[in-house]
Amino acid sequence: MDLRPEQETGLRSAQVAGGALLLVLNNTLTAVEDGRNEILRHLGPLDPLVRNRLEVLFEELVSNTIRHGFAKHSAQSIHVQVKRTPGAVELTFEDDGVPFNLLEAQPPEPFTSIETARVGGLGIPLIVKMASALRYERPAPTSCTGFRPSNRTIISIAT
Amino acid sequence: MELQHSDVGEVRKVVLAGRLDTAGVDRIETKFGAVIVPAGKNTVVDISEVTFLASMGIRMLIATTRSLSRKGAKLAMFGATPAVKEVIETTALTDIIPLAATENEAIGIVAG
Repeated sequence: MDLRPEQETGLRSAQVAGGALLLVLNNTLTAVEDGRNEILRHLGPLDPLVRNRLEVLFEELVSNTIRHGFAKHSAQSIHVQVKRTPGAVELTFEDDGVPFNLLEAQPPEPFTSIETARVGGLGIPLIVKMASALRYERPAPTSCTGFRPSNRTIISIAT
Repeated sequence: MELQHSDVGEVRKVVLAGRLDTAGVDRIETKFGAVIVPAGKNTVVDISEVTFLASMGIRMLIATTRSLSRKGAKLAMFGATPAVKEVIETTALTDIIPLAATENEAIGIVAG
């Protein structure tokens, strides 16, 4: 695996093609803020609740991939496509981390008391519940750019 | 992310302001626990100025409330914006940490 010194910049590249925003995020948690800012700038004004759902979904998916899917300090990356569709914003995430289908994740036990409550593991349930639609695919290894994604997660947020 | 604390009678009041996301929790988690747990008082947390809440923020709230509970005291939140309230309700956090509309209501919950 290609290793590089700890990256401080979360955003490796950003471009707009065919009306869609294409981001490449580095393996660092600053990618959450850097990527979010690019997406909000691209989309312009949104209903406050729609914007919040988008921010929650982006934060949880990117931070979960970096924490649990990537090797520390690796050059692994997340490619994000953001586009408006009729009545929705659609985000497609591809990463070359550990294969993980969040739709197959075990739902957490319900809270019953503060003493027994789970402290972690809340990110995936938030993604599943807050997305208007959610799809997972294992991408075919067809990339000619050197990027070989092992996960593709497509999230739709109704506007 | 900013934090202030004071006492309202016997109840500790903590005011949070900013984003309770991964970066915000990193900055504030230690201080949040330090102003609440050692005192062992019933506590209300004003989240009306919290502009964003993600799972890391919920994790911080649960961990601190649990530590406080082990000292025999309660914690309640109040003042959530509609966006923050949606996240709280989606995770069913109110099953274990009460969310009130106002400070007085929150104080009533922890003191009751």
